[in-house]
Amino acid sequence: MAFNPLEHRGVPLDQQLRNWSELNVEPYSKDVDPYTRCRVITLNGIEVESILFSHQFARHTDDPDLKRFLAMTRRAEQQQQRAVNWLIPGDETTLEVTAGYEQVAIDLTAWIARSEPDPYLRQAYEFGVLEDFDHLYRYCNLLEIVEGRSAEHIIGRCTEVMPGRPTIDQHRHPHDDVRRHYDKHTVDPRSRLHALTVMSAEQQTMNFYMTIGNRYTEPLARALYAEIAMIEEQHVTHYESLIDPLETWFEQLVMHEYNECYMYWSFMQEETDPRIKAIWELHLNMEVEQLHLACDQLRRYEGKDPEEFLPKELPEPIRFQENKTWLRTTIAEQLDLTTLGTEFVRREQLPVDAPYYAYQERVNAGGVPSEQVIEEHRLDKGGEYRLETEGPHPVKELRAES
Amino acid sequence: MTTHIVTKDKGGKIKPIGMESAEPQCQMAEDQLKGFAAGADSLNGPFFADLLSAFLAHEQAGFHLYQVIAKRTQNPMLARHYREFGKETEDHIRILAGLITHLGGDPMYVSPAARMTEMVGSKLLEIGLLAGSADIMTLELTMLEAVILAETKDHANWSFLSMLAQDLPDSEATRAIQAAVAQVEPQEDNHLSWAKDTWNQLAKAQTQSRAAQKIAESAEKAVGKVKDLFQ
Repeated sequence: MAFNPLEHRGVPLDQQLRNWSELNVEPYSKDVDPYTRCRVITLNGIEVESILFSHQFARHTDDPDLKRFLAMTRRAEQQQQRAVNWLIPGDETTLEVTAGYEQVAIDLTAWIARSEPDPYLRQAYEFGVLEDFDHLYRYCNLLEIVEGRSAEHIIGRCTEVMPGRPTIDQHRHPHDDVRRHYDKHTVDPRSRLHALTVMSAEQQTMNFYMTIGNRYTEPLARALYAEIAMIEEQHVTHYESLIDPLETWFEQLVMHEYNECYMYWSFMQEETDPRIKAIWELHLNMEVEQLHLACDQLRRYEGKDPEEFLPKELPEPIRFQENKTWLRTTIAEQLDLTTLGTEFVRREQLPVDAPYYAYQERVNAGGVPSEQVIEEHRLDKGGEYRLETEGPHPVKELRAES
Repeated sequence: MTTHIVTKDKGGKIKPIGMESAEPQCQMAEDQLKGFAAGADSLNGPFFADLLSAFLAHEQAGFHLYQVIAKRTQNPMLARHYREFGKETEDHIRILAGLITHLGGDPMYVSPAARMTEMVGSKLLEIGLLAGSADIMTLELTMLEAVILAETKDHANWSFLSMLAQDLPDSEATRAIQAAVAQVEPQEDNHLSWAKDTWNQLAKAQTQSRAAQKIAESAEKAVGKVKDLFQ
């Protein structure tokens, strides 16, 4: 069903404000469809990015009309963020929410990689997803150690749990996380939306881990969050560098609003929970109006017509779905990839003086939490936690020890 | 239809260098550029293609600038000129795109130089971001200064083409360049001289008028004064 948000009007901005009761939504229950949880987590990341972007933009202008416009729309986005993020119940532990975050990272990035038309950008998503895949494995083992539960009650059986590119190997020199970017004149509209979406999701994951990782008392839990949060920083650097810095403040403002329309529209279509679907629909109607207002700002301050660069309709909706076969193939083919500068290379192709080695030696000295958590689980439970629904691990060296 | 913004669906192409990436079908190969302006002997086709791409990006940036300031100015006479120059600039986009095509190039090609030009142009548009700390007269003068800066480069671009056409031996390509210059250069001359003269008048009026000093102290009166300028 084609949808062009530019052809519709939404809820007038001054009618978008809600009261505290309306924002303090009823959370979902923990037995919610895992992909409903994934949609909630994703949209929280999207809203947080829109807020942070708006704040950055506001710091670069003193035009009162513009600052007030940004403040007003940002207030609406903040309310949307509350309504979305407050769907997550208080009885979901931090590690359970974390498992949800990693499931998002895996199945969202996998879908995007499979839909991405640009080969270099696609490689960037394929590269990143194998790392998040490993994070889920490490966190699920921690969950069993700390809380005595398997993650299956959170992630269902939609996403397998087994090693990806080992986290210990993911620690790269900062220079090796900077990628090449698309060019705004040749970029496919889908590519633009993909980059913004995955960047937002990884950014929120980074924020989440770097903030709540210290809430556990168990040293291993604290250590694992500290380690994986740093990989998420790497991922944010990696994904944000895909975006063309030639895009102006106002073009980015329009793209943020457009992407929010795209995300709510996508998720509204496949949401199984009717109450939550109604929230996606309401927020879509809010974002449509915010998009129109952002387009007005672009016309006013840059004399550009957004219809000259926005597509005539939204692309195919983003879906949460299983990607097991694709992930297994990607793991088998790309596990040993790393990066050298902006490019992806096999580990064996790294020169002996590559910055990677010195960085690895420095940060991994004294023990690596992501390895320790598996050793601990083996000692504690006589083996490691995995959820391999499609057979043994595609890489022989990473099959579970007996 | 005149293209103000190049996009993939309009056939946008780049020559990715350094930190850029593009899908293979959106990449302009060096071979494709080598044949540019082949009819005009001994030209460096790829360089000239990149240069004209930058000139086109400059016209597009100029068009957007005029769109903004025509609506932003409080003075009807200035608004009228900005609208008129904006329309003429739109014609220049069309003429330059036509010239590029005629010379065997692709007006949807955005060269590295064009990207740089677009960046410079975007900075001129950012004057609006600081409007909160500018009185109305400062804003009007700054908008005029933006026009002077944009038109100075524009003028330089077309002067270059004029000079180049004079240096080249006679050929169909040379005549195409000369025809484009003949259409555009007089208007560019007019845009620049008008902008400079108008800025001079405005700045002189402000500098030499004690009355203007008092009016500047009252924002409402300043708006009225700006509206009445050039009456």
